[in-house]
Amino acid sequence: MQNINLERNKARGYSDFSQAPSATKRTQMLRKNWFFQAYRWMVLNIKILRIVAFGHS
Amino acid sequence: MGNTVSVCTYGHAEHAWKKLQESMEKMKNGQKQKIVIGVGHPGATCQGAAFEYILNVYFEIKRKNLEKYADLIWLTNEYQLGDFAMGGAYVKFGGYIAPTKVFAESFLAERGINWIKQAGVHKIDKNKIHYETLDGEYHELDYDFAMLIPAFSGPGIKAFGKSGEDVSDKLFKPNGFTIVDADYTAKPFEEWKAEDWPSTYQNPTYHNIFAPGIAFAPPHTISKPQKSPNGTSITPAPPRTGMPSGVTGKIVAQNIRDWIKTGKPELKHRASMAKMGAACIISAGYGLTNGIAATMTVYPIVPDWEKYPEFGRSIKYTMGEPGLAGHWLKWFMHYMFLHKAKGYPFWYLLPE
Repeated sequence: MQNINLERNKARGYSDFSQAPSATKRTQMLRKNWFFQAYRWMVLNIKILRIVAFGHS
Repeated sequence: MGNTVSVCTYGHAEHAWKKLQESMEKMKNGQKQKIVIGVGHPGATCQGAAFEYILNVYFEIKRKNLEKYADLIWLTNEYQLGDFAMGGAYVKFGGYIAPTKVFAESFLAERGINWIKQAGVHKIDKNKIHYETLDGEYHELDYDFAMLIPAFSGPGIKAFGKSGEDVSDKLFKPNGFTIVDADYTAKPFEEWKAEDWPSTYQNPTYHNIFAPGIAFAPPHTISKPQKSPNGTSITPAPPRTGMPSGVTGKIVAQNIRDWIKTGKPELKHRASMAKMGAACIISAGYGLTNGIAATMTVYPIVPDWEKYPEFGRSIKYTMGEPGLAGHWLKWFMHYMFLHKAKGYPFWYLLPE
């Protein structure tokens, strides 16, 4: 089993173990920021509609 | 199984919710609970649904401040996290083009959820899950609450011709799914092509039979096939639910409509999963401000390594993004699809 805390400890010891990235406080804040997310909502709509348009002939 | 729960039907989901509440009651009394969520068969698919469920369970546990009493484990048959039964994908991520492995691992790690990958569950007792990993070892995992998505199969019906002869092998594959216009020739992974995938979903023998959505037999998996030294195949089946089901269902209906109107089976409308994009939103939480979602689009669903030799898919149209925006989008889509399902005004303008 991939134990998060154990992996972090191994990485601290400079072992050759990969570690999952964690979001920074700024990223976490942006993920919840209404203004930024309203902008991303519009972008996502466009991106998904683009996928829909490519969906089938 | 019978010992674990599932969320594949309304009844199942309601039962799972009751069981989860029982577990949370125990947590409130200071009892530690091991919660295992994932897929319950070496060949099961729908990792997205299970992933969404584990994030929602985490959300509920966190909302009730019970995190320290819960040990959440993600159990999957994927070779690596973020495979989602479609061989993973590459997305633009923080200025890099990164595999979805990073995306999925980060989502779990941020919530302190541990994971077991490359696991094929073969037996479930009342309090123990028995599984085999790709290295051929057998393991046991204790659990207090487990939600494992079962494997899909066809309905297992028999087909008979006019004179009563059994024609099942012309209509169905051994797994019960319907044979369509796919290339079912067995070949190694390196030789798989986008053209192997069907585009009209018409049975080659009986032209009046179509099998869109989850009904058709895929030519092969999308993820690279993996086998343990004991010979167990631990590879997720290709996902066909959600957007691909809607799109393939629509083009089949359009083709049948045209056939009836013109009297000619032209089958002008086509939708191969190797030429079709899909969007998936894994949303957790409830309300306008409390949720978070991982939004993902892939184009095409089945990687086309000839057209996109670098990453298998278009990097322009394949993306992944975590945030509240995806959660709002899922909420919006929920009402949009209900509007469409109920046939309210202009329903036909809404996409699948």
